[in-house]
Formats: sequence, C-alpha cells, structure tokens
Amino acid sequence: MHLAQSLPTQAPGVFTGSANVIAVLILLAEFGMLRQALLRDHIRLYMAQSALIAVLAVVVAAARHIPDLYVLAALTVALKVIVIPLLLRRLLRETDPVDAPAGGADIAGSGGLGVASTVLLAIVVAAFGFFAASRLGIRNNAAPITALSVSIAVVLVAFVLMIHRRDVVSQAIGLFSLENGISLAALVVAASLPLILEVALLFDLLLAVVVFGLLIRMHHGRARSLSTADLTRLRG
Amino acid sequence: MSAALPVPVIQLFQVLTIALGSPGISGVIAKVEARLQGRRGPHVLQPYYDLAKLFRKEALAPEGASWVFLAAPLAAFTCYLTVPLLIPVLTTYGLPLGYMGDILGGGFILSLASFLVAVAASDTSSPYAQLGASRAKTFSAITEPVVLFVVFTVGLITGTDLPYALAATVRSSASQIIRPAHALAAAALFMVILSETGRIPVETHTGTNEFGMIEEARPFEHSGPYFAWLRWGSAAKQLILYTILINVFLAPWGLAASTQAGAVLLAIVALLAKASALGVVVAVIDNSFAKLRLFKITEFVSAAFLLAVLGVFTLYLGGG
Repeated sequence: MHLAQSLPTQAPGVFTGSANVIAVLILLAEFGMLRQALLRDHIRLYMAQSALIAVLAVVVAAARHIPDLYVLAALTVALKVIVIPLLLRRLLRETDPVDAPAGGADIAGSGGLGVASTVLLAIVVAAFGFFAASRLGIRNNAAPITALSVSIAVVLVAFVLMIHRRDVVSQAIGLFSLENGISLAALVVAASLPLILEVALLFDLLLAVVVFGLLIRMHHGRARSLSTADLTRLRG
Repeated sequence: MSAALPVPVIQLFQVLTIALGSPGISGVIAKVEARLQGRRGPHVLQPYYDLAKLFRKEALAPEGASWVFLAAPLAAFTCYLTVPLLIPVLTTYGLPLGYMGDILGGGFILSLASFLVAVAASDTSSPYAQLGASRAKTFSAITEPVVLFVVFTVGLITGTDLPYALAATVRSSASQIIRPAHALAAAALFMVILSETGRIPVETHTGTNEFGMIEEARPFEHSGPYFAWLRWGSAAKQLILYTILINVFLAPWGLAASTQAGAVLLAIVALLAKASALGVVVAVIDNSFAKLRLFKITEFVSAAFLLAVLGVFTLYLGGG
C-alpha cells in the first residue's frame, strides 16, 4: 500500500477499472461453475478462473511496480492452469464409468436444487458478501474496494457450490475455486505480501489437490460412485 | 451544406425509419442465417414482399372471435410505433415528444402491445395461439426483473432514467464503456432481447415446430392484413429493441447532433447499418447454439438476471 501511494505516476482509473472487471469475471466464472453439468466443463471453468487470477496479478504488478507478482502470475499459470487440471483429469479418467466419454462423467442432478434456484440463492449469498464488505468501512484509495467485495462474494458462492453439490469432485473444485477467491482478495488488498507466503499457499493448494485426489479415489473405490449420498449412513 | 429540418419532421423520420426499416433488418438476418447454413436464402427484401402479399389477401376470423381479435393487431402496431418517439433513434438531443416517457414508459408501451396480442390470441379458441400467448406472458414475466435491474443500472450511472442521458454518458468517454456495470447491463439486455425477439436459445424464429413455439404461435389464427400487422409489428419491436441496445448502450455514435438534413440522413443509414451488424451477430448465435428446452429457459433468464444484479451491486459499491 505504502509503495503504491508513493508512486506519482499511478493511474487509479484504469487500474481500478481493470481490476474490477477482472474481479467480476472471476465471480462470473464461479457462478458458471454452479451451472455446469459436466466435470470436464467444470475443470475448464476452473482453469479460466485461475488464468484470470494470473492476469490480475500481472495487472497489479504493472500498476504498482511489484515485480514479485510476475513470478506469482507465472506460478499460478503453471500450477492452477496446467498442473492441477491435469491431475484432476487423470483422476477422473480412472473413476469414469466404462461407457461414459473420457472426462465427461455426468454430474447433472448432483445439485440439491434446480439451476435457476441455485443461481438465485447464490445471488442472495453474494449480495450478503457484497454488503458485509461495504460495511467494513475500508476506504482505501489504493485498493479497489469493489474487487475486495467481489472476492468475498466469490468465497461465499464457492461455499454454495460445495454445499449444494453431492458429488465429491464438484466439492473439491469448489474448495479450489474458494482458494481463487482468497488469492483475489490477497492480490487486491495485500499485493506486496511476501512472495514466499504466496508460494507456500500455492503449494498448500497442490497438497490439497493430492489429498482430495486420494479421497476421491478411495470414495469411488468403496462406493462405486462420486456421490456423497452414500455417506449419510453411520456404520458401527 | 443542407437545409435544417423542422424538429417534428425529424421525429416523424424516427418513426418511419423504424417502421420501414424493420422488415429489411429481419430480411438481413434471414439471409445471413441461410448463408451460414450454406443455403442461398430468401431475398433481403422478402419480408416486404410477404407483407405486400398479406395485405392483398382476404382476412378471416375464427367463429366467436370478438372485436378484440380484429382490433389488437393494429393497436399493437400503434404501440410499437409510439416507442421510437421516446428513444434516441436518430438524434443525440431529445426531440419534443422524447421526454414524455422514460425507459420504463417505453417498456410499459412494449408490454401493452404484447398484452394486446396475447389477449387477441386467447380470444380465439385455438389451443396453439393460447399456448403461445400464455408462454409469452410467462416468460416476459420472468424477464421483467432483468429489465428492471438494467434500468436501475442506468439510473445509478446517470442519475436519471432517460435513454438520452445514458447515451450521452457513454459517448462522453471511453472509460464509461469498459466499466463493469455498463458491460454487465448491456450483456443482460442483449440476453433479454434474444428472449423477447424469439431467437435461439429461447425459440426458433423460423420454423413450424409448434411444441417449442412461444411468440411465433400467437398469430396462428390471424390472416390477411391482420396477420401482416402482427408480422410487421414484431419486426418493428425487434428493430426498436436493437435500437435501444445500440443507440443507448453499445454504440451511440453516428447519431445526428444537429437538425441538418444531411446529418439526419446519415443517422438513418448508420442506424440501419448498425442494426444489420447486430443482426449478423444474432444470426451467428442462432446458428451456433441449440434451442433450450422450455423448462431450461429459466436458467437462461437467471443468467441474465445475475449479470444485471451484479451490475447494480458493483455500482452500489462505487466501483462499477
């Protein structure tokens, strides 16, 4: 923040505007995940969302002259856009039913509500996030407050996705995209966060992917399905 | 270079441009769509020939239909031609009658027209016309909130709800166009227009598949000149909605800033060119997507609603 304020050649209009546009696109990608019925498209949306995070990192790096963020953008692309989707796809190929197209396992109907109702519910939840953030009273000229509110909305909508889907893969992707929301908040509010912390977070995510992958495979091996509906019964 | 036109004449030109240009825009869309499908397609002027043919034909009314059935087509057409008085069709400045209604006023007149057509359709005892009317009302009821939120966005951006004011704001600087709220509202309005003009992914525009019909099923029982008025009316409605999207949201350039005859003439050509360009986009969408099942249309509308609501939110937080 202090760095940004000391720079005379900052164009807050363009920077804030583009940061807000990217933040809104990230939120739209999150909403898009609510609607997806195919795991393949789900993963694609996650890739798009992560790519948007990388673009935002580049924008912030350029606007505030923080070269560390270019490294973070490159790492984000490498991990979230390439490695994690690859890992997820490989996992899904193993859990596919024999007759389903590769990576196209159908998760339609895994949602507890209809698509339109889910979107309306998520709008309400996102609105809560928006207005909660605006009540925080953060008035900082250097940080685009809208992008911060959007990031809170992204986190909350990711919660909706994880809660209302019954299949484990959607829940895992919901968690990963929740992390995208947190990255967005970090980029907007604390852009000069030490790089080592951000990288640690990224590798944490990679660990989460591996753990989730194991859990998904174990669950699929036991229940022969991706749905968590079988887990409601207690076993003594 | 040329003579200044009296303002009422320009106002008349606004209505005439919409009335006479609208079948041509429908023709362009049909032609482009056919070309994209590898067909030669109908002539661009075909809708005019169709109208001329229908006006020469005999009119029949189903047994038991009342005067409403016969009065509605012309009344709806009148409604459609009232709207061009309120929106910036050709000029950047408000014409004398331009301020008698705002965006909501224009919306009310469009809904009145659609209501009249629906009443006429239910006046027949034809199941298809009634089905179309009931579906059209149902889906216009769920697109209504989207339109309202788009109007709220306009209201928050300009402090008024006059279409002229938003067009002027958009023209004022390029940063107005890329602000998220504006982009979101324009996208939401575009989706509403796809739904209201009966295009894919909501409805097939040219087809005889009664099961998926919404708007197109309503004039099933009308014939001759009455059918012509309805066809012409829906073409006019399409061009009006395109004009609102283009001249208020997307590209309010090329409008006449003076009363010079040359400038007004240029504005007419510019509007028709821009509407044709938008028509090409619509034709491409028509060819690239499948029609949604009837019960999936709510998902399409909920996406539009999401865009409009997000637009208002970002504005409310001061960042849009």
